[in-house]
Amino acid sequence: MKKALQILFQLVLYVPLMALIGYFSTAPRFTIVPEKSALVRLSFVHAAERLRECRERTPEELAKLAPNMRAALDCPRERAPLRVELEFDGEVVYRREVAPAGLRRDGAAAVYHRMTVPAGSHRIVARLRDRASGEFNYVREATLDLAPGASLVIDFAAARGGFVFGA
Amino acid sequence: MTHLIHAPGQWLFLRVEAFFNLAFGERLNPLYYLGAISYSLMWLVVGSGLYLYIFFKTSVTDAYASVEYLTHGQPYVGGVLRSIHRYASDGVVITMFLHLARHWTFDRYRGFHWFSWLTGVALLWLVYAAGINGYMLPWDRMAQFVTIATAEWFDWLPVFKGTLIRNFIFPAAVNDRLFSLLSFIHIGVPLAVLGVLWVHTHRVPHARTTPPWPIAGTLTVALVVLSLAKPALSQGEADLAKAITTLEFDWFFLPVYAALYRASPGEVWALVAGATALFALLPWLPPRRREGPREGFHMLVRPDNRIIGVREGETILDAGLRAAVAFPYDCCSGGCGTCKAKLAYGKVDFGAYQRTALSDAERAAGKLLLCSATPLSDIEIEYEPEKLPGQIPVRTWSAAVESLTPLAHDVMRVILRLEGGERIHFYAGQYLNILLEGGEKRSFSFATAPQQSDRIELQIRLIPGGRYTTHVFEKMKAGDAVRFEGPLGSFFLREDSEKPILFVAGSTGFAPVKSMLEYAFARGLKRKMVLYWGVRTLRDLYAPDLARQWEREHENFKFVPVLSEPAPEDEWRGRTGLVHEAILADFPDLSGYQVYACGSVGMVEAAYPAFQTHGLSQDDCFSDAFRLAPKIRTDALELAKLGGTT
Repeated sequence: MKKALQILFQLVLYVPLMALIGYFSTAPRFTIVPEKSALVRLSFVHAAERLRECRERTPEELAKLAPNMRAALDCPRERAPLRVELEFDGEVVYRREVAPAGLRRDGAAAVYHRMTVPAGSHRIVARLRDRASGEFNYVREATLDLAPGASLVIDFAAARGGFVFGA
Repeated sequence: MTHLIHAPGQWLFLRVEAFFNLAFGERLNPLYYLGAISYSLMWLVVGSGLYLYIFFKTSVTDAYASVEYLTHGQPYVGGVLRSIHRYASDGVVITMFLHLARHWTFDRYRGFHWFSWLTGVALLWLVYAAGINGYMLPWDRMAQFVTIATAEWFDWLPVFKGTLIRNFIFPAAVNDRLFSLLSFIHIGVPLAVLGVLWVHTHRVPHARTTPPWPIAGTLTVALVVLSLAKPALSQGEADLAKAITTLEFDWFFLPVYAALYRASPGEVWALVAGATALFALLPWLPPRRREGPREGFHMLVRPDNRIIGVREGETILDAGLRAAVAFPYDCCSGGCGTCKAKLAYGKVDFGAYQRTALSDAERAAGKLLLCSATPLSDIEIEYEPEKLPGQIPVRTWSAAVESLTPLAHDVMRVILRLEGGERIHFYAGQYLNILLEGGEKRSFSFATAPQQSDRIELQIRLIPGGRYTTHVFEKMKAGDAVRFEGPLGSFFLREDSEKPILFVAGSTGFAPVKSMLEYAFARGLKRKMVLYWGVRTLRDLYAPDLARQWEREHENFKFVPVLSEPAPEDEWRGRTGLVHEAILADFPDLSGYQVYACGSVGMVEAAYPAFQTHGLSQDDCFSDAFRLAPKIRTDALELAKLGGTT
């Protein structure tokens, strides 16, 4: 009888352990994007223009170079930083100057920004400058209707004309 | 400050463990096997994972469907195993943290424990990496969340800078190769877990890696019941075009991922890196527990009569097990009382334990629990051996003195014949305790080989003023009755190696070596054996003819006598100096040898460090010092005298 009670007691002690595992393996639920919200992500990788323009080498300069190195143009490697701006319903919510990758700053620059926004219609403007100076040379603006739980990705592809608003 | 947390922590652990003892008893309390249960759960995870892997399809279109098939297509096999895979993983997290908390609370993480602690911290990372990676495979919404969250978290690092997320931001970016990669990681990381687990436990003497089967069995059954009651399910197929809103969350593995969306990735990195650094540095953070010399203390263990080093913060049980002392033990947590022993001399910190395992009255009577107590001085411990090599039981014997023969001016050969024609079984190198009136004991090695089991040769050296040795030399005569207990000790010839053997005998340390050599010759052992017998002068070399006879009769044996202080009249032309120096001169590289040393503590203490610097492995060192170290009390010098020094 005592042995049976002891075994019963043992089984009873396993119940809270299993309950602990069973409960906390799925609960409480965690909300990443609230139910009536949408996710907007700005993400792209782009190589900006060179910081300084290429220069044509003089004949004297070319003569000093080894024959296999006599390129007509002398192009500095360093690229300009990207200047990025994201405007959401008239308010600038993201503004960064992103340095190119690489020790010599000659690589592409990567941009990533995520934000949760209320679902509904929103006016979005994305701007990019990929040269050393001047105004934004890529601008795209659109009014989008974002459903609850929607995911909007704002990409950039120069070959496709600039910013791409899409899922 | 730390003590203020340790003390209530110990109180809490002991109370909860006592409560569990009511149900499980002291021998099957799961809380005493937290590390072993973690191991056991890991094997459940590995076993169930292997089955799941058979059916899992590593493609972007089939991964989700294959897991759904496992869950719903074969609910009583695949579904249950999937659930066990998840719940056992969650269980590992629980037992792992409890195991860690117990070791921290009971101050078993500093000093020499640092290695196990650090590998434990590495295991934390690896277990989390394996578990989080596992959540990516079913390619459901949870997988989508975990994959993207991992990319967003790692993208904070300068090496990625926002490029990693590009692999998961568009549906077209995810292809079948991702699942091959994830599967590869999900096999590789758990293999690393098992590897580090092995390292983690390898340096812990007699570490348990399997819990008692009733615990493992009940736990498995409980997980099966949980799996049937609440199967682990996917949360809808991943869709990168949609945001992840709300998830049923695994709070054992993913709390850091929740933090990612309540704080910035940089802050989460700081939190994780800071916590890891804190955990890793804990063994070296103040306050120091220095209560004795850095090198620790020494303990004399009886009835083995061995002197063993105990490292700072090391329990007596761990020190003994490390030196292959056959201490009895079970729970190793101060709960069962199996390792109860007597403190014959010295001071200890009794540690934290259950009062049911060691009562206050027992403690007042000098008892302690080997698994809880740590020395505060050099100590002497007496324990009741449960088993000795080969399961030869220890018992009391009656014998009669058959003959007494002087071997040298101060060494007497005593032959005992067992009463009633009995035969004693023992291992070559073991010893016996002569029982004296008044309860005192005197230890002497068997000088005869085990095959001569009807009579026993002892070689007893006269110690001026020694009670028993004086009796042997002045009053003992043939026919006298002798009572003794034995066989005892773990110093015996190991036959599981083919390495050549160097015997180092100091004075009457020749006795157990004689037993081992005669046994080896009788067994036909072909291993090369060299005996270095160190004595002071030529007259102390009491059986050179026997050793030279062995040399003539056995090609694989060589005898090298070494005199430390030869007298002029000895006209000694042989080796001189300290015996271990002679060995090192002949064998500068000891990495391929086994050494059996029997002599004074001084000889052994001088020889072993020198041997080890010349490549001798600790596993190939066998010694049985037969005189108390100066560090141990000196008022009982006759206590331990293997080889017959008193």
